[in-house]
This record gives sequence, C-alpha cells and structure tokens, in this order.
Amino acid sequence: MSMSQLDAETTTILAKLDADKALRPDEPSLPVGEWMGKNLFGMGQGSPWAVVRSTLLTVLFGLLALFSYRGFLNFVFSEERRWDAVRTNLRLLFTQAYPDENYTRVWVTVAIVAALAGLSLGLMKVGRGLSMKRIATWCFAWGGLIVVGILLREASALTNADGSIQLDVDKQPIREGFIDKLGERGTWWVLGLVLLVIGSVIWFTLGDLRRRTTFVPAIPFGLVTLGLFISSVWWFNWGNYTFTDDGFTFDPGNKVAGSTQMPWTLIFVVLLVAYLIGQFLLRSERAGTFRGVVNGLWLLAPFVTFWVVLRGPVIDWSHVLSTHLPMALGFIVLGGALLWFLTQPGIGEKGRIIAVALILFALFNWLAAFMGWYPMLQKARLSFLFLGLAAAIAPNFIGDAKQRLKLIYGWVGFMTIFHILVTIINTPSSVEVPTEDFAGGFMITVYVAVFTMIFSFPLGVVLALARTSRLPLFRMLSTVYIEVIRGVPLITLLFFFSVFVNLFLPEGMELSGLAAVTVAFVLFSAAYLAENVRGGLQAIRRGQYEASDALGLTTVQRTMFIVLPQGLRVSIPPLVGQVIATFKETSLLAIVGVFDFLRIARDVIPAQTEFLGVKQENLLFISAVYFIVSYSMSKYSQRLEKQLGVGER
Amino acid sequence: MSISDATTFTSDEMASRADMIISDGVDKWYGDFQALKGVTATIKEREVVVVLGPSGSGKSTWIRCINRLEQHQGGRIAVDGVELTNDTRNIEKIRREVGMVFQGFNLFPHITVLDNITLAPIWVRKKPRGEAEQLGRDLLERVGIPEQADKFPGQLSGGQQQRVAIARALAMEPRIMLFDEPTSALDPEMIKEVLDVMKELARSGMTMMVVTHEMGFAREVADRIIFMESGEIVEVGPPEHFFTNPTEDRTKLFLSQIL
Ligand SMILES: Nc1ncnc2c1ncn2[C@@H]1O[C@H](COP(=O)(O)OP(=O)(O)OP(=O)(O)O)[C@@H](O)[C@H]1O
Ligand SMILES: [Mg+2]
Repeated sequence: MSMSQLDAETTTILAKLDADKALRPDEPSLPVGEWMGKNLFGMGQGSPWAVVRSTLLTVLFGLLALFSYRGFLNFVFSEERRWDAVRTNLRLLFTQAYPDENYTRVWVTVAIVAALAGLSLGLMKVGRGLSMKRIATWCFAWGGLIVVGILLREASALTNADGSIQLDVDKQPIREGFIDKLGERGTWWVLGLVLLVIGSVIWFTLGDLRRRTTFVPAIPFGLVTLGLFISSVWWFNWGNYTFTDDGFTFDPGNKVAGSTQMPWTLIFVVLLVAYLIGQFLLRSERAGTFRGVVNGLWLLAPFVTFWVVLRGPVIDWSHVLSTHLPMALGFIVLGGALLWFLTQPGIGEKGRIIAVALILFALFNWLAAFMGWYPMLQKARLSFLFLGLAAAIAPNFIGDAKQRLKLIYGWVGFMTIFHILVTIINTPSSVEVPTEDFAGGFMITVYVAVFTMIFSFPLGVVLALARTSRLPLFRMLSTVYIEVIRGVPLITLLFFFSVFVNLFLPEGMELSGLAAVTVAFVLFSAAYLAENVRGGLQAIRRGQYEASDALGLTTVQRTMFIVLPQGLRVSIPPLVGQVIATFKETSLLAIVGVFDFLRIARDVIPAQTEFLGVKQENLLFISAVYFIVSYSMSKYSQRLEKQLGVGER
Repeated sequence: MSISDATTFTSDEMASRADMIISDGVDKWYGDFQALKGVTATIKEREVVVVLGPSGSGKSTWIRCINRLEQHQGGRIAVDGVELTNDTRNIEKIRREVGMVFQGFNLFPHITVLDNITLAPIWVRKKPRGEAEQLGRDLLERVGIPEQADKFPGQLSGGQQQRVAIARALAMEPRIMLFDEPTSALDPEMIKEVLDVMKELARSGMTMMVVTHEMGFAREVADRIIFMESGEIVEVGPPEHFFTNPTEDRTKLFLSQIL
C-alpha cells in the first residue's frame, strides 16, 4: 500500500470517527448486570474491600431512599389528605379574587405568554434532541418508580357504606389486604406498566448504537406530551371542583368545567400555532432579527399584560388628547430634533455640555419636587432624564444620515412605548378587585418577581460598573449601597418599605403597598446582582481594556461592546441563581400582608369553612409549583451557558 | 516604491522626513521605582525602529506610554505633531493614528474575527458597516487568512490570531504601528507567518516601533535599533553597526548573551 493511499484512508476513517462522535453524546451502554456491579457494588476494581464498602453504602442509602419514598407516598395518598382543598381552590391560588366577569383578561394574559413562548421555542437553535436511550431510561425510571410505589404504599383503609373510614379499637384505620391493595390500583398499574413496556420496546428493538444515535427533537416531543395532557381535560374524569363567586362545586365523577377546558385548549392551540410560525420564521434569513424582536416583546409583555389586559384602564380621551398626547409629541419631536443636532459631525465639546446640562436639569426637577418649588408630571421628569441619557450616548451615533437615524428611531420608539404605558398606568382601572392589589396568588408572585428582575437588573449592572469604576466617588457610593443592603435582612427592608416609605416621599408621590415592597425587592436584588456582575467583570483580562483603548473606543463603547457582553456571560450561572432566589423570596410578600401564593395557601384556604385547617396539602402543592418554575429556570440557564460557550474562550 | 528604497536611507533623506514620534526626556515611575529615566528619541515617518533590551529594561513601558496605555510623569511625548497631555481630545486623536499589537493578541473572544476588525472603524471612525466589512475582508486577505472571517478568535491558531490582531489595528488606518513582542507568545512554527506580515507592512512604508527578541527580523527590517537598559537608552544605531560593532559595553554584553 502506498503512502498516499494510506493517507486517504486515514482521512476517511478520521472523518467518520468525527461524524460519529458528533452523533454520539451518550456513552456506550454496559449490560445491566455489569453496570450495577460496577456502579452499585464496587466490582471490577479488583479489591474485596471496595465491594464490601460500595455494597454497604448502596444498601444503606437504597433503604433510606425507599423509606423516604414510602413515607412520601403514604402522606400524599393518605385518606386524611384533603387534596380537594387544592383542586377546588386552584383559581384562588393562582389569581385570588380576580372577578369572574373579567376572567377573560387572565386568559388573554396567559395566551400572550403562550404565544411568545411558542415563538421563542420555534425560533430556538435546537441541538440534537433526546436520544432513544435517554427516552427509554426515562421510561424505565418513571415506570419503575410507579410500580415500586404501588408495592410500597400502605394499603387503603376500608370505608363504610357512608364513605367514612372503618376504625379498629385503637382508632386506627382498618386496611385492606396486600393482594386487594395490588388489585385496587388499576390506573397506576396501567401507567407504570405502559411506561415500562415502551421503555423495553425501545431498548430491545434498537441496538446499542442505534439507541444512542436516534434522536427525537425535544421541543415537538415536549409539545406532543403537553398536548396529550391538555387534551385529557376532554376525555379523562379529573373531577369538577370549583370555587367561584357563586360558591363551591364538588363533582368528582365528572370532567373539569367547561370554563377550564376551553381556555386551556385555546391556549394550547395558540402555543402550537406560534411555534409553527416560529419554525417558519426560523427558515428565513433574518431569523436572528426575529429572535431579537421576540426578546423585545418578552420584555414588553409584563407591562402590557399588567396594565392593558389586567387593569383595563378607563381612558379619559379628552384629557389624553389635550395634555398627554401633546406632551408626548413634544418630547418625541423636539427631543428627536435635538438628538439630530447632537449627532452632526463636528459637534465636539458642545454636545457633551448639552448632555450634562440636560441630565443636571432632569435631576434638578426631582429636587424641585421634593422641595415643592414647582410641579411637573412625573412622566415629564423621567422623559427629561431619558433625553439627557440619549444626548450622552449621541456622540456614538455621529456619522452619515443612516447612522444618525438609528438613534432617532430608537428615541421615537422608546418614547412612544414609554408614554403610552405610563399614560395607561395613571388612569383608573375598570376591573374592580376586592383586595387592594390588582390580583393575588401566583399571579402576583410572578408579577412581583418579573418586575423585580426587570428593574433590578439594569440597576445591578450600573452598580457593578460603578463599583469597578476608576472614579473614587462612584466606587464609594456603590460600595456603601451594596454593603448596607447586603447587611440588612430582606424582611426588614420589606417592613420598612411597606410601612415607612411614604413618609419620606413628597406629597403626590405616594406608592401603594405593593409598589413599595416591589421597590424594596428591586433595591435588595440589585445589590446581589451587582456583586454577581462584578465577579464577571473582574474575570475580564486587562488586555481587553488595553486593546479597546488602543483602538480608540470611548469608555461607553468599551463598556457596551467589550466589557459587559463578556462580563455578563461569565456571570450567567450566578445571575440565574439570583433570579431563582428572587422568585422564591417573593413568598415574603405573605408576611407584609399581600395575598400572594403562599398567603393563600397558608392563611386563606385553611380559613374556608369547607377546608378548615387544611394547610399541609396546599403548602406541598405550592412547593411543587415553586420547584417546577425554579427547576425550569435552572435548566434554561444550563442551556444558555452551553449556547454562549461560557468558559470556552 | 521599491524595497531597497524603504530599507536603506541616507542621513539626508532621513533628516528631511517628518517626525512621527518624539519622546523627549520621558520619565515614568511605578511608586518609587523609576521605570523610564529621561528616554529621548525621535522616530521619523516611514521608519522602522526595533527596541531591544533585557527583560525589565522598560521597553514595554515606553512603547505603552506612546499611546497612553501608561501615563508618563516627566518629559514630553508628541505623536504626529500632537502632544500627549491630559486633554482627552489629544489622546483620542493619537489613538486613532496609532495601532498597537500586543504579545497576548488581546482579541475580543466573544465576537467574530470580522467583527473584531470592523468594530473600531464603525464606532470610532464612523464608517458605514458595508464599507467597514469590505475593508475588514481586504485586510484579512492581506494578512493571508481571508477564510477565517466568520470564526471566533478561540477557533484560530496563535499565529492566525496575531495576524487578526494586526489586521484589527490596521483597520483604523493608522499612521504608526506599535508592536510589543508580537511573536513571544507563539510556537516557533508560527513566528514566521507573523513576521512575514510585519515585513510586508514595513515595506509598504508604515512607521513602526517594534519591541522584539527576533534578531533576524531586527537585522533585516530595522532602520535603526534602540537598545535600552534599566529605563535608559544605551545605544542607538543602524543594524549593521549595532550588531557588528557596538560601542557600549552593556550592548556588547547583551549581544553576547543572546546571539
Ligand atoms: N504596573 C507596574 N507596576 C509596577 N512596576 C511595573 C509595572 N509595570 C512594569 N513595572 C516594572 O517596570 C520595569 C519595566 O517593565 P517593562 O514591562 O517595561 O519591561 P520590558 O523591558 O518590557 O521587559 P520584558 O522584556 O520582560 O517585557 C520592570 O522592572 C517592571 O517590574
Ligand atoms: Mg515587555
């Protein structure tokens, strides 16, 4: 064989190996017996001690796991559990006393989220998907858990004809025999065995290599699973339990109410259609742009759903036309003209002076408000500040008309959205909710968490930049702020804000209780975010700053294009950790008197005459919801990390 | 201009050229340690100067003072007729005229090779994106890696990264290029590809100030060699004189150690 032939052959072999490696993420499977021997019983290390040690640990922890599992099942499925308290009060838990006649607004909100989620999923750059091996393993695990669960759980208590539980002399429930118990749990048997059978079919019809190299796209797989689940409201007797303004309904032998079936079905359709649209857009060349637009919509969604959908503002058109509209147009047109002027080539020092003057004027407006010198709409004060900031970044847009227009378009778009949203906030709501807040339950938990994230993130980034700044004043202020906030328990801050903050505000600037505690959450979360971001910023090597300076980038440009993108990327894991923490910490709302998710579960439901004192069930349920949301976020962050290639520079 | 034009000068010709970099009695302290002690030299238009010296002699410090990555505390520095003072406008002006290539490349790892090159032209020179991208691709062609435009820096070899760094600096269309040990972090087989690019640049008439330990390069390309030690310029001269017939004892010692 000549040298060149060998080369060609080697090349093809190598290419094949590479292709193979790309397709094979999972390790080759060992036969089951061997796997257990190696991983559970320490075999194959050639040492009898390893075998004894591993076997002992496996048996010990295995028993511990089994006992905990049995305890958990006995608790959940015990006859004493009042799960109907949760099922009946689902609406209360999620939206509290949001009025029935306006409930469509809630569904629209969920549908908007579903539409955005569908678009995002459709536009996602997807990886390989789930391998058959993974799916089979998953089926085995869940099927196994269910069957083991059936065997482990104690037998059901016998009941009398009237439904009450038969008790023995010690007042303990009389339970049925083992065989009866096994025979009774029909649905669970079906579910467990079906999963085991599916797993086995996949496992034994496909060879090891095929198992590992056949992939099912994860998102369609997930959507089909979700679709099946949602469709079950039409064909499975989940039981109809409701609690509305009209009172309680208990109807165990029936399907869920039509007022639940329809919205969820529609929402699923919205999700599906949005996903398909996303898939269609993904094929186009401008998929990246669409992705950006969808991300922008996500950012807008909390505001839009909160104010436009949930509050249904009653707009006084004559007032809007006479004051709000002219003011908005003034800022848009005159501000735009000023920015056009500031981006002309050769504006030089004059531009900076104007920008600084505007920012000082904007800040002075607040001072004037505190001192009561002259009145001005809050909206106008904010607009001046935004104009000052826009003027400050204007030098980056100096250039030809195209370059300059970018800033103008940005200004017009931002101001339009800002003025519309703020005008809507300031008008009274047509939705009359019995409590002080616009809603309660899970909805308020989510809104507080989302707004906290939206506002604390920029604040945290600014604090981090200030803390790493070269200017000692910035550094000091930011350090003091961060250290003070981090040295105070969140709950203290919440009490302080819910009780005292209005005493410090000038007249006409009152905050509602909920707004006040949200501010507290923002301030608190920002301090922690700042520290996480600072960690990321400090991981950036000095050479990056030097290269940017040597190229002549300004400090703002260096921060925007070089420092922040890299710093934030490094800090994704702690940032998501902080977001999850914030989400869970919103449960402190219950303590300062807001009817949040936790408070409904802990205080409201146990006070209902039907479910007096029922607490554990609700708490377990909301824990599960908290867990599902947190776990999804953590999974998403892992995905994001991989996508952005954190760590591989 | 032919190659011989750019590499050999008569002293008359030199004298008639404009001064690009003037360093006049530059002092620099780090705490109470004086890293530069009255460094005085003038670099002419289209001249290639190689700065040699033992480690810690202040070569990097000096070259970094010229585009204000370090701030000098005594003496004066003027670049292309603009004096470096605390006036940020002057610093901006000088940084636009001066490109710099670092020992560690310092490419931006989170954006593509092409974006690395076009970032400053777009945002500092205010070039339209299309024009900047064309320029970027041309420069990649010039440094010999047009096919790497859409990769990320981390996917390139060291030699390729350094060539991108050179292209990035050139994209600002500087009149002066500073090189601080551009090949010291490279494996031997990649040094040549970078030096070749630098030679081509020298031939094209770029004013260059190069800190390097590549004696072959110094001998072949330099118009003048500046030898530094302990923060001072010890000896200055054309390569043929410097390598064969140095006057100072310290220079002789240095040469005997490295050659
Ligand atoms: N940031 C700094 N703080 C304190 N001392 C410094 C700093 N930077 C450099 N020095 C000192 O200044 C002197 C000159 O350093 P410089 O980096 O300029 O040397 P060099 O000639 O480039 O050496 P090398 O060939 O090793 O790169 C050295 O003694 C160094 O320790
Ligand atoms: Mg050095």
